[in-house]
Amino acid sequence: MSTTSETKTPALEDWMYRGLFQQVPFNVAIIDQDYNIVNANDNFTEYFGPWRGKKCYRVYKKLSQPCLGCNARLTFEDGQPRVSDESGVDQHGQEAHYVVHIAPLRKRKGASVKYIVEMSRDIVETKNWQMEYQLLFERVPCYITVIDRNYKIIRANENFRRTFGDVLGRQCFEVYKKRRTKCPNCPAARTFRDGQVHRSQQVGIKKGGDKANYVLTTSPLGRQGDDVAHVIEMSMDITDVKKLQKEVIEAERLSAVGQTVAGLAHSIKNILMGLEGGMYIMGRGLQRNDREKLTQGWDMLERNFNKTTSLVRDFLSFAKGRMPELEMVKPNALVEEIIDLYQAIAAEVGVTLTADLDPKVGTVPLDPKGIHTCLTNLVSNAIDACEMSDNRQGEVTIATSAKKGAVSFTVTDNGTGMDSDIKRKVFTTFFTTKGGKGTGLGLLTTRRIVKEHGGHITVRSISGQGTRFRISFPKSRLTTLYDENKAEQVLKQQVKERS
Amino acid sequence: MSKKILIIDDEADIRDFLTQLLEDEGYETATADDGLKGLDKAKEFHPDLITLDLQMPNDTGTAFYRKIHRDKDFGATPVIVISGIAGRHLAIREPLAVMDKPIDKAKLLETIKSALN
Repeated sequence: MSTTSETKTPALEDWMYRGLFQQVPFNVAIIDQDYNIVNANDNFTEYFGPWRGKKCYRVYKKLSQPCLGCNARLTFEDGQPRVSDESGVDQHGQEAHYVVHIAPLRKRKGASVKYIVEMSRDIVETKNWQMEYQLLFERVPCYITVIDRNYKIIRANENFRRTFGDVLGRQCFEVYKKRRTKCPNCPAARTFRDGQVHRSQQVGIKKGGDKANYVLTTSPLGRQGDDVAHVIEMSMDITDVKKLQKEVIEAERLSAVGQTVAGLAHSIKNILMGLEGGMYIMGRGLQRNDREKLTQGWDMLERNFNKTTSLVRDFLSFAKGRMPELEMVKPNALVEEIIDLYQAIAAEVGVTLTADLDPKVGTVPLDPKGIHTCLTNLVSNAIDACEMSDNRQGEVTIATSAKKGAVSFTVTDNGTGMDSDIKRKVFTTFFTTKGGKGTGLGLLTTRRIVKEHGGHITVRSISGQGTRFRISFPKSRLTTLYDENKAEQVLKQQVKERS
Repeated sequence: MSKKILIIDDEADIRDFLTQLLEDEGYETATADDGLKGLDKAKEFHPDLITLDLQMPNDTGTAFYRKIHRDKDFGATPVIVISGIAGRHLAIREPLAVMDKPIDKAKLLETIKSALN
């Protein structure tokens, strides 16, 4: 059969080979055993320049002797084809990166290799891309690691290595947080599970022992639909932002304290005048031996003395700025505590106090002392509102609920309610509707504590019908705060151990 | 006939104190615990003089003063401001006197006496 075709179309065969040799998208060169280039196609000439009578190493790499570990040599020896990545210099003196496929040329099967064919293709662009991506990966101003299913770091960028140390092969939780076990709120675990992108705020410890706040995004490495074998952890350092945030809160607090001092003076002046009045009336009582006046004066003294006490206490608790100390607590148990505390006081003024607890609330990280203060402020306000209202059946309810990733406490009363004017002022220093009985600091303190927890406080009120205060805390913020607390504790511990 | 003084202050103790003090001096008194009630009381009691606290819930003392100052019946009634807030002398115009809390009893009585005679 071959005889027929050979005799029939010798010209075609010839064209075919020549066409292939010239037009194949490679730089093709034929080399003899002494590294002489005996033939090359136009692509090759265009890329590497004149080659006739030159050795391959001179043309490819401008060297004066064969390359170290020359692949062509090996192929001459064992007849095996080879592929390799090479760098050389093109005819314009530019650095050239190319892939070379080397194949033996024999007269017939089994004969020794007389020539080899080298087919190379330029990969400068690919290389450049690669380098650009590598640079991007290394220099991007965030921390990037790639972890495997065992949470081992298999790649880490420069920024990460600089901040957390040389960490390849170690587990991410150990490196990021000096933990021995996986973090409880690990977004990477979620990404491994569902192949989706997840985000969370975290607190870690840098290699020097400083705290690092960062927002972590985890995404699957690989194609959609495949099982996730690796996860990219990318985090932005927000330590400075956090610091600023803290400074702003602190500045707000200080300015509030400043404004407060003016208000405080006013309250004190009123109390002083009350005390003076008490003394005056008692003096009258003594002069006239009037027991009724004596009692009236004494009561005034007592009342104003008590006012001083509660003013000082509230002022201190308002002025004291601190980060909440979070513990795992049961909000429902906290509410029950408050109910126990206020049941008798409420009953005395004819107010029913009830709890409406959502069992789904469970356990969350909160500052129990802070929340206790918030709830006592809200509940005592609610009882006062009932007492001041015409409604004889005063009712105050403390409810808990867990909804949309937030835990909330709601204190509802059917007391006096507030008009819009009062509602606007409830969070101003020393604003009170209770006359001398209130200090005008309770709700402010409550709001401060709630804010420090990353939560918010809302109020709904209808004049004459009642009021509802709700304080709610996004669980994600609580978890972050809890981690921050923990990280700070670890830091303190480490500092202690060092000293 | 004894002169009539209306005492407006949200603090019960201060109302009691001023009532006692002024009655001891032979004045007839009435009280109100906010500006709105103060205005009603003024219409009913026709005071010869008013003592006024500036910072109170509901209508503030300042608003009360503005209203009463414009009222044709009470426009001429002397008002003594008794207040602890800073800058109180700027809050309203032309009060008879401004007194800081806690008040100087002798000075208050002196001021009232000279205003009413």
